[in-house]
Amino acid sequence: MSTAVHVNVITYAHTHVATNLLRSLKQLIQGSGLSAAKLMDDWVVLELGVSTWLQSRHLRGLVLEVLDPTRQGNDLVGRFDFDIDYGYYADGDGDLWLDADTVGFVIRKNGSYPSRCAYRVIADTAPGYPRVDGWSETTFRSTAGFVRQTAGAAIGGGSLGANLSYYARTGS
Amino acid sequence: MSVIARRIAAVPVRTSVETWRAIADLLAPTTSAARQQLDAVTNVGAMLVAEEYTALTPVIVQPASGARIRIYTVHGEDAIDAQAYEQPLASWPLDQPGWAISLPCGAVDLDEVRAALVGHPAFAVRDVADGIEAGQGDPQAAGAAALIIDLEEMSRP
Repeated sequence: MSTAVHVNVITYAHTHVATNLLRSLKQLIQGSGLSAAKLMDDWVVLELGVSTWLQSRHLRGLVLEVLDPTRQGNDLVGRFDFDIDYGYYADGDGDLWLDADTVGFVIRKNGSYPSRCAYRVIADTAPGYPRVDGWSETTFRSTAGFVRQTAGAAIGGGSLGANLSYYARTGS
Repeated sequence: MSVIARRIAAVPVRTSVETWRAIADLLAPTTSAARQQLDAVTNVGAMLVAEEYTALTPVIVQPASGARIRIYTVHGEDAIDAQAYEQPLASWPLDQPGWAISLPCGAVDLDEVRAALVGHPAFAVRDVADGIEAGQGDPQAAGAAALIIDLEEMSRP
C-alpha cells in the first residue's frame, strides 16, 4: 500500500512545486519590503503557466526581477532565481516539502528594497513550450555588476527540486 | 442553527487555483450569477488556499437561508485521501441573493486581501486568529453581512 501512496505523491509533485513556487515568491516579495498585491492580481495566470510548464518539463527556472523605476538605464536592483531540477531526487521517497527557512535566509542576506520598487516574474522556458494565456515573451535585465549567490533547495517533490539563488551587487 | 462542513482536497492533488474552483463547484453552478462572483475572486481565493489559511480555519458560507457551511482545505499527503471523501452539497447554497462568504487570512496578508475584495461586497476577510468567528473587527464584513457563529448555541443538543 505504501507503494501506491508513493506513486501518487510523485504524480502530484508538479502541482506541489507549482503552488509552492508562487508561495515562495510571495514570501520573497513581502520579506523584501514590497507589496504582494501585484503577485496576487496575477496569481491565476502565473500558477497556470508554472504548472503547465513543470508538467511538460519546459520550465527551466522561475525568476523574480526587482526593478527601481527611478534608476536611469538598467533599473534592475535585485533578482531571485528558482532553478528547476527534474532529476533532483531521483531515488528519493517522494516526500513533498517546502523549506521556508531557505527563503527566509535569502531574505535576511539580501535585505529589503524601497517600497517604490516594482517587480516582475519571468519563466525561463525551454524551446517548444506550450503557450499559456496571459504570458508574453520578454528578455531578462542585464545582471552585469551583480554576483549570483546560491542558497540551496527550497522546494522538493518526487524527482522535482527548485534551487534558490539571488543576485547581490558586486562589492556590496 | 445548523452547520454543514466539507473538506476539499488541495495541494498537491490540486493547484491552489484548481482548489478554489473546486470550492466554487461546490457552491454554485457554472452559469449562475453567484458563480461569476466566485470566479471574480479566484486570485484572492487561490492565494489564501496556497498559504493554507483555509486548512487552519474554514471558508464560511452564509446562505440567504439555510444551514451555514464551513469549507476546509486539506493539504499534503492527507489531500490524496481527502479527495476520495469529497461530497457535494444537497443543494446550491448561493442560489438566492443575500449570501455572504467569510475568507480566512493571515495577518501579513489582511490589508492586501481586504483591498482586493473592495468591489466584491459578498466577500469578507477575517484574521485566521479569529478562528470561526467571522466578521469581527472587519469593517467590510460589518458593512455587508456580519457572520457570528455562536459556539455555545451549536453545542446544545
